[in-house]
Formats: sequence, structure tokens, C-alpha cells
Amino acid sequence: MTLKKDKQADDLIRSALKREQRALSEYESKKLLSLYGIPVTREQLSRSAGEAVSAAAEIGFPVVLKASSPELMHKSEHGSIELNLRSEGDVREAYGRIVGSVELELDGVLVQEMVPGQRELVIGLTRDPQFGPCVMLGIGGTMTEVFQDTVFRMAPFDMTEANDMTEELRFKKILGAFRGQKPVDMDTLCRALIAVGQIGLELEAVSELDINPLIIMPEGRVKAVDALVVLK
Amino acid sequence: MIESIKDSPLYPIANPKSIAIFGASNKVTTMGTGLLGSILDLGFEGEIYPIHPQEDQVLNLKAYRSVLDLPTVPDVALIVLPTRIVSETMDACGRKGIKHAIVISGGFKEVGNEGVTLEKELVAVANKHGIRFLGPNCIGVTTPRHKLNTTFMTYEGAPGFIGMASQSGSFVTQMFNYLSRHALGFSTAFSVGNEANIDIVDCLEYLSACPDTKVIALYIEGIRRGRAFVETARSIVPKKPIVAHYVGGSETGRRAGLSHTGALAGPDRLYDGMFRQSGIIRAQSIIELFDICWMLGSLHGDAGRRVVIQTHSGGPGAEAADACGRSGLELPSLSSETIKKLSPLIPHTASIGNPVDFTFGKNLMDYFSTIPEVLLEEKNADVLLYYFSMPNRTLERMLKHMGVPSDEIAALAPELLDAQCEAIINLVETGHKPFVGYTFQSIYDKLVRRLVERGIPIFQGPQRAVRVIQAAFQYTQLRDKILSAVSQE
Repeated sequence: MTLKKDKQADDLIRSALKREQRALSEYESKKLLSLYGIPVTREQLSRSAGEAVSAAAEIGFPVVLKASSPELMHKSEHGSIELNLRSEGDVREAYGRIVGSVELELDGVLVQEMVPGQRELVIGLTRDPQFGPCVMLGIGGTMTEVFQDTVFRMAPFDMTEANDMTEELRFKKILGAFRGQKPVDMDTLCRALIAVGQIGLELEAVSELDINPLIIMPEGRVKAVDALVVLK
Repeated sequence: MIESIKDSPLYPIANPKSIAIFGASNKVTTMGTGLLGSILDLGFEGEIYPIHPQEDQVLNLKAYRSVLDLPTVPDVALIVLPTRIVSETMDACGRKGIKHAIVISGGFKEVGNEGVTLEKELVAVANKHGIRFLGPNCIGVTTPRHKLNTTFMTYEGAPGFIGMASQSGSFVTQMFNYLSRHALGFSTAFSVGNEANIDIVDCLEYLSACPDTKVIALYIEGIRRGRAFVETARSIVPKKPIVAHYVGGSETGRRAGLSHTGALAGPDRLYDGMFRQSGIIRAQSIIELFDICWMLGSLHGDAGRRVVIQTHSGGPGAEAADACGRSGLELPSLSSETIKKLSPLIPHTASIGNPVDFTFGKNLMDYFSTIPEVLLEEKNADVLLYYFSMPNRTLERMLKHMGVPSDEIAALAPELLDAQCEAIINLVETGHKPFVGYTFQSIYDKLVRRLVERGIPIFQGPQRAVRVIQAAFQYTQLRDKILSAVSQE
């Protein structure tokens, strides 16, 4: 781990704490994840419909728009997400709807690439009073708490152990070839699990963390599509 | 990790040469007297010093008014006194120079409030004198080879190879009879109580170094030193299997968090992961815990997932095959070499497949010697799962129908039994593959009993046998996982 990354991660958290945030916004959370080498969606924070449109053009259609605020922890429940926007017009209208419907003060609207793939995982960090920082892997998406297929490991752990986590999932078959889609990029997935453990070990101020969903794309790559970092 | 078993604070506790006991009297109904009775019952060979404020003799042993009056410094103090005088007794032991203790007395942290304060006081007194102690609120230790049993129940059976640390005293003492019925026993078993000073991790280190312990059994309700627990277990598993039965904190006790992860981190799932990371096999019940210990302690060679079943009855074979399938075990096809070797031994009414169903053979002894021998050599299989069912009375009746005179049957039946028993034992002991028996006969059936007493694992019904094969295979995988991680470092 380089010194530079530590410093950037520290700064990110310190300034959030200074603003008395209880959590990092999605945008900040993903910045933190990418500092630890976890692949995240390409995205930009926009503060006007015009900015959103040019961000979308740069990222490439289709895009997703999401309200961005550290106060907003479970976005799908607040009607603050607009999916699959295919044109400038779509983006402009969606921007208006989000700003109009969310009552919280926003730091902006997040414009992000729409990641294809039906297979969704969740990766998390929890702190146990006895075992310390523990990493969770599970079947993710909106059905996370329905399937409750989750496995845990105490950080730190190695690639063998990360691999064993995937073996322990009841529905591990979705990590393999699945309806014409390629098997998951196991190496990147395991590195992401190890990295979340590192966050737990290195950043005391992070109390909990969710990456949900981490989408497995049809060609097998993984990407963090939504993330939440809860602060102490 | 400790270098030698003698470096463990539990060594003098499990193998004392002398014991001072507080709380035993001539009143038979007290707990302390009961424990002393149990120690005497097993024939402890070291010195026992009862400490009693009034009595000159306790259960015919010379008693001392104060620990300070003892002629020597005993290896361990066994304290079975009312809660309020435990700390002062510990202090007196410290002044005498005693360095190890077992505190049976309850009324400490487990009762909350004042108990918490009393436990802190006790720990402080022990620390002041450098005393290491087991408990409080435990039932102590049993080391049958050392003829030591500080628990209330009399030890039954012979010493065995299961080393146990338990957060319930009952699963030490109340298992004596169960284990002896299966010709099993403890090497050493610790009841850890409140773990105020010595905890489960210390027990793991001791049992890891204990030469009489082949497999470690844990009964856990909650782990206190989590990180040390995982690291210690991982260092032991390459040498010795660990099996744990965890009865968890309830799911309602989970911490409310803001994240999904917090909400999903219930103790049961978390412990599943911690055990797997530790290389520990998790048992779903106390019976299963000891089943798996039995299997792992009697293992010849590594278990794999490929099972060959030998039966002489269709139903029990199919039942075993079904259980294998449900447990993720495989039933490989027999190799052509095996089929060739079996053909002359198996009647035409039988099937040479997997299961190998002998039905009713030409030569009964083939079932006990030649056939299992061929199957243990089968290159496609890792484990032989073997069905036992020939009650002695049936055997005698068959001999009678074969025209053997009854006086000869009386002589012949035991001979046959001997031959069957020795054939199986010889195969298991010279073989390099795990052999697991299952039966619906009683564990006291003549053949079953003799084999069990010679260390052959035979389970009641195929599901229990299959579960232990699965666990033994899991041990191979967990051990190899940890070894591969170590070799990468």
C-alpha cells in the first residue's frame, strides 16, 4: 500500500468528518474504493442539468442519474434513481425529476455509466467486538436480505481465503458461466474482498461499508455500482 | 504458540502432583465433598490436601486449618467455596506461593451486577500473585490418564484421544457415559467457565501440544479473544483437527447497523465464517461433534469425496448411496481391475457396482476379508463405507441349519466372530484409506462392540457415517487450504 493512497483516503474521510457527515456520499465512497483498487463505475457529480448532459455525453449512453447526498443511504427507497437514460433529453428530464422529488439538500446529481449484467453481489465490512474488521461477501442487489446468502472472513486474509469465501456461498453457481455469460473475474473479485479488509484495518473511522450491488458483467468483469461508507 | 506443553498454564492444572482443595468437608451433600469424592474415586495418585477451618480429617485425609500450614506448595488449588470468600482464599494461596488454581464457585460475572465486581476483584488478586486460573463458574478438568477428575461425576471408561474445551461443564461430565459407550474417552477436558483468566485459546494451545490428544473438540457459546482464536486454530489445524459445536448468540442480538452488512452480520453466520477461516469443522449438535471426533481420531489416511459402499442388502446400500448424494460425496464407478477381482467372489444374483451388493455370498468370510480388501485398493475411491449386519443369533441359526451340531456351534460361533473381527481390523490397520462402518444393530452387538472397542468407527445408520466422511473430507480441504496459504508466505 502506497503512502499516497493512505493520505488521500485519510483526507477524504477527514473532510467528511469535518462536515459532520455520518457517512460518505456514494461519490465519495467510490473514490475511497478506487483508491483501494476496487473497480467502480465511471461517474461525475453534476450540479446542473447542463453539467449532467455533458457528463453523460462524456461517459457514453446509456447512463444512470442518482441524487447524491451523504444523508441518503438507501437510494432506491427514495425514488432518487433514474435508470437507463439513453439521450440528452432523457438526462435533462431525469435531472429535473430528481431535484424536484428529493427533499434533502444534495451535493449534486451523480451521472454514471449504466453497467450491464444481471448477477449482483454484495461486499461489506462490519466490525465485530471480538474478531475486529470482518469482510462479507453475499448475493447482492435488492434481494440481498431475501436470499441471506452471505459469508464472512476476519481481515486480513489472503487470496486462498478469499477464493474459499466464494466457495462457501450457497448460490456460488452464479459466479460460473451463466446463461451465455462468462464466469466472474475471480482474481479481481478476490482482490476486492482483500481490499475491503484493508480498509477495515487501516481506516479506523470507517465503521461499516456496503458495496451493493457489485455487478458481474456479461464478460465477467466486476464493478461496484453503489457503495456506502458509514463513519464512526 | 507455546513451545512445549509444560509452558502452558494449563499443564499443572491438568497434571498436578498435588492439590489443595477448599470446600470439601465430611458433609456428603456439599459440592466440595462431591468433587473430592470424585477425585478419590478415580484414584488420583498425587497428594491431596483438604483445607478446612475445623476438621482434622476430611474423607479420611489429613486436613489443614489454613493453606499456609501445608508442608509443601501444592501445584494447584481447587476452590469450591461460597463466592464471598473466594478472593481471600485466592490471596492466601498466593501468599503460600501457589501459582495455579481452579475456581469452581459461581456467583461471579454470570450473575451480573455485584458478581461482575467480585470477578474483577478475583482477577486482580490472582494477577497480584501471578496465579493462572481456570473458571470461575466451571466444573474443572479431567485428565483420566493422570487419574485426575475434579468434576462432580465419576469418570467412566478408559482415557481417550479427544481433547476438549467446553463453555458448558455439562458437556464434559455428562458425556463420560456417552463416550465410554462408544469406547471413546477424553485425553483432557476443560470446563472453562467464565474464562476470567484462562480462556479457550489457552486450552487450544495446550491441547495442540498434548501428545494424547488426536482431535480437539470445542463447545462454544461465544469467543472472547476472537483474533487470537482464529490465528491459534490456523496454526494447529495442519497438525490436528479441531471440531466445534457453536450454540450462538441469538439472531435478535445482532447489532443494529446502518448498512446491509451490519444487518446481515448475525453471530451464526459470522461464526460460520470464522470457523471456516480457522480451519475448524463445525458440528451441528453435541452428538455430531463426538461422531466427527471419533472419525477424525481413528482416521487411516486422508479422506476424500469419492466413496465406495459395501453392503449385502439392497435397502441399506441404497440408503447410504442416497445419503452420499445429498452430502456432496461421489460414488465413483469401479475400475475394471476391481470388477475383475470381485467377479469370482460375488454370486450371480449380486451386483458389482457402487454400492457393491454382496447379497448372500458363497463364502461368508469373503464379506469380511477379500471384498473389503479389494475395495480398499480401488483407485477410484478414497473411502470405504461398510455395512455391518449379522446379529450373532442369526449366525448361530445358520450354522445350525448347515447341520453343525449345537455343541460345535457354541465353539464355532465365537471363532467365526474372532475371524471376522480380526479380518476387518487387519484391513483397516494395514490400509491407507479411511474405513467407516454403519449399522442398525446395537452398539452392544457382539461384532460391532468388539470392533468399536478396537477403534473402528461404526455409526448408527448411514446418515451419521456419511456426515463424518463429509467432515473428514472437509478436514483434508481445510488443512490443505491453510498449508497452501502458509507456503505462499
